[in-house]
Amino acid sequence: MRTSKPNINELLSHPLTIATLVLTISLILLFLPLKVSNGIKMACVVPVRPFQWATFVCSKTASGFFHRIASVWKENETKTLLENEIAELKNKIIELQDTNYRLQDKLISVSEFKKEQKKPKAKIIPADIIGYDTSIFRRSITINIGTKHGVKNNNIVVTDNALVGLIAAAGRRTSLVQLITDPASRIPGRILQTRDQVIVEGNASPFCQLKYVPRWAELKKGDNVITSNIGSFYLSSFPVGTVVESEIKGGALFQNVKVLPAVNITKIENVLVIKE
Amino acid sequence: MRWITFFCILFCISLFQSTLMNWINIGIAVPDFYFPLVVFYSFFIDVKRNVITSWFTGISKDFFSEGVLGINSIFFVAVGFFIWSIRGMLFRGHLLTKILVTFVFSIVYNIFYALHTAITYRSLNISSTIWMIFICSLYTAAVAPFLFFIFDKLQPTRNLYFMEK
Repeated sequence: MRTSKPNINELLSHPLTIATLVLTISLILLFLPLKVSNGIKMACVVPVRPFQWATFVCSKTASGFFHRIASVWKENETKTLLENEIAELKNKIIELQDTNYRLQDKLISVSEFKKEQKKPKAKIIPADIIGYDTSIFRRSITINIGTKHGVKNNNIVVTDNALVGLIAAAGRRTSLVQLITDPASRIPGRILQTRDQVIVEGNASPFCQLKYVPRWAELKKGDNVITSNIGSFYLSSFPVGTVVESEIKGGALFQNVKVLPAVNITKIENVLVIKE
Repeated sequence: MRWITFFCILFCISLFQSTLMNWINIGIAVPDFYFPLVVFYSFFIDVKRNVITSWFTGISKDFFSEGVLGINSIFFVAVGFFIWSIRGMLFRGHLLTKILVTFVFSIVYNIFYALHTAITYRSLNISSTIWMIFICSLYTAAVAPFLFFIFDKLQPTRNLYFMEK
């Protein structure tokens, strides 16, 4: 009696086999540790990065061209420069104001803390943005520096003295920055004016939300949110955003607070990575 | 079906989606160019190739997105398979069918993705997420005919119909 041997080609030609195979691969990838999956991701997109960079440069050049044409009519260029300068100075003032508050607190309450505790002087690396996130529910950018330039995972990314996010995956020449508006982002923060501690959380919208703001905290529209050094993950006193709306629902313990990030990510082209 | 054409289209979509989105977004409405590709191939090719194209589309979206690998590939394979299984009931050549199928399934896909994000990170706001799903799906459906036209030029559907038989 002849028995037919299972042929691998026949097996692979069956749709169910293909579906099972690809879904198994997807599930394996899904349950990989984030570090490993980020490593795979960064390695697989390496050949595409130069094209991504070239496309971005072309788009930036085209954008600049259109911008120049527009500025001839409206003198927009000078205005934008001045606005950027004002935004930078405003953020600087917030930072200085925060330092001032902290120093006052220290003088009054704890006399033995004479020296301000600061992290060692950090090294700053400038980087260009070369890509954005392709998902509508995630917020990240790709920058053109990586481990070769000294970037490490969890380094802080800023622009105009305001917080942008942190390095989620550092490749050799490029890195993925998780923005403060990403749903996975959690930043220890503080309300500048009231000194309340908060957690700044992204929710995939252009705004962030504050968690664990007690209902009795007196927040006003326009209050500034800055980073705190709780957890020693972020450097303190970086402006994160401004309170735009606060609401107390029924008997809830905490307020719902909406924060507008200090940085409009769609309008910036480069960032600074703070390397400790 | 020419695989090289498929991978070229996928490459171009990945480049466009990851670099030039700020040029065409309207507020928070961002179109998903990967999705019409899944719908296009689900309409016109056999189930085996459909699964493979959907998987590659999903995994390339994962590569250019923050978060775990594999999630988009699972969703795209599922959506592609479902569209393939109901395509007999649809008049696939009509413009309205393309727009409606893209819109409806984009909403379904985005709801599942939002659920995954909400369960994993517990940080999505319901009202703003629903609004975002709606307008992003609408925008994706609005650009779908244009993308279908391009895909049709690059990968003629007459050949795909022929292969189906």
